[in-house]
Amino acid sequence: MEERKAYSRDGVLAHLEMLEAQAHELALKQEEKEQQEEKLAGLKARVQELRARRDELRAKLELQQKRLLEKGGAETHPEQPSARAVLEWKIKSVKALLQLFYLTGISGKLTKRGVCFCISTAYEGTYLESYYLDVLTKPEVQIQRHSVPIFIPLEQIAKKYLQTDIRRFLSVLSDHLNAYAARRYQADQLQERFSDRLEGTLQRNSLCNLLVFHYNVPSDGRSFLFTARLLYADPCCSLPTEAIISCTPDAPAALAEVAAAHSDAFRRAALHKAFDSFSKAEETQDEALISPPGSP
Amino acid sequence: MDEVVAEYIRRTVLKIPRDEIMGVLRKWGFLSETQLGAINFRQTKDSISQEVVQLCEENSADIKQAAILDIIYNNIYPNKRVWSVYQMKKTGEETDLFDFTNFKKKFKRRLQSALKNVTISFREYEDNAIWIRIAWGTPYTKPNQYKTSYVVYHSQTPYVFISVSVLKSNLPLLCQALVVASNYHDIREMELRSHCLNSLKDIVFKRYSQNFQTHYPKQEKNVATENVDVRIIQEDKSEKERIQRVNREVFGDGPQPKLEFAQYKLETMFKSDPKMDVLEKREPFRCLVKFSSPDLLESLKSLVPAGMADAPLSPLLTCIPQKARNYFKIRERKGVLPGSFVRP
Repeated sequence: MEERKAYSRDGVLAHLEMLEAQAHELALKQEEKEQQEEKLAGLKARVQELRARRDELRAKLELQQKRLLEKGGAETHPEQPSARAVLEWKIKSVKALLQLFYLTGISGKLTKRGVCFCISTAYEGTYLESYYLDVLTKPEVQIQRHSVPIFIPLEQIAKKYLQTDIRRFLSVLSDHLNAYAARRYQADQLQERFSDRLEGTLQRNSLCNLLVFHYNVPSDGRSFLFTARLLYADPCCSLPTEAIISCTPDAPAALAEVAAAHSDAFRRAALHKAFDSFSKAEETQDEALISPPGSP
Repeated sequence: MDEVVAEYIRRTVLKIPRDEIMGVLRKWGFLSETQLGAINFRQTKDSISQEVVQLCEENSADIKQAAILDIIYNNIYPNKRVWSVYQMKKTGEETDLFDFTNFKKKFKRRLQSALKNVTISFREYEDNAIWIRIAWGTPYTKPNQYKTSYVVYHSQTPYVFISVSVLKSNLPLLCQALVVASNYHDIREMELRSHCLNSLKDIVFKRYSQNFQTHYPKQEKNVATENVDVRIIQEDKSEKERIQRVNREVFGDGPQPKLEFAQYKLETMFKSDPKMDVLEKREPFRCLVKFSSPDLLESLKSLVPAGMADAPLSPLLTCIPQKARNYFKIRERKGVLPGSFVRP
């Protein structure tokens, strides 16, 4: 035991020291390890967080890109047209339809108790007045009120067609109104543009279906007074059915031909256009007199 | 120049307000521009009229020109007279080729064949209105220029507007001449009278209330946003709006034709509590109700919005323009006749 005693005294303590040191080291290592592990876990969590954030941002970016592409009308996104776009298209096509009706002259709009018709008149490219009719459909088809002039035979036309064939009614009425507007337009044009050639006033009536006027016709340096009497017996026609042209008794016989020509012109062309043609014919006549054909 | 003519011209000029005399004389066109320029308008109307007569003397005015001046005066101031509306009827449906020259000839011939002593003058206006002035005499006396009737007729229409101040006995003669000259068969007086000639035309030609629903709606007049205190609340706003809407439906949007009277002759039974026994005999209680106003239809239109009557107004009042009458006879409702019990 003595050997062991002497032996272990140096060895045991040293051994213990050694063990202690070892334990200490192990403990340290353990601690370190634990710290490391903690750190790792922490870092791992952070990584998770960052990954999630990255995914979020990515998704956002994608969405924005999608939207941008949509606005640019990309082919890559054939989506449903929005309700707003559909509505706008509908309004546009209805407006175009209404414009079409306006151009045909007869249009209508539903009202609370029936329909409001609008008959637009025009003559040779010029829009003239529009006339309206408020038609009730209950208890029976009747005209509640209208802006048709009193001298147009509206009641007559209504009696014939309103109950049975409303389209015909509108068509016949439109013919009457258009013809009246055309006749009035021609008479107004005559008074405005050829006032210098007319002598006295133009005699007309409400329907402009009988016109009487006097105008000068030059011939051989003198001017002769012609009297025109235009009758428009057809209420739906804008050209006269009869054109009676007479000259003063002292007019030369040759003018009878001119009168016949004028009568013809009035029956074929619009009043102001016929007058235009007279002026032109007279001009060429004058030119022929001044420089007879064949001369230099 | 005839004394009668001179005096007539003088009196006609006196009727014109001083500022308008030049305009009227110009329209007349009988005096030249230099003559018109010579008139001193700063003097009294008496003196002005004397001057005008003097100038007319220089131009030897006769009754024809004086009559035209009178027509022009009445055309510019038609509301000084009471106008009645007459309606003509014809059976044929052929288009009427109205010839003014022919009309004048026929009218004169018809009238003068019955009564020689008349002065007849015509004047046509831009709106196709024909004015006729007739000065009446008797079979034994010359026409009295102060006893005149005026007729306004738009060609190819069945309505004639007549102002007969005196001598109602000549009316049948006048009506006959009109019917013959305009190629109609019959004429009757409508129960429509007023001072305002244009309003009468508006009513029979149906020229009033012409606001139609078009596809291009007129901009709704934005009610001026007054500086109303926001703290003030209108309690009956919806009721007011309802009244406005109903009023609009009945009267339309535009200005109403101008009438001065509406007369209702009642021949209905007096309805009273039988215990009160006011009338012993069961016979119609005759009563005349007359509404008068400077502008009757406008005032009727404003009755409900002003709170003086309940909406809707009685159809007896609101039917005036549509029925084209302002003189009514109301008899007892018979049997099961609904609504209108007005007899023409």
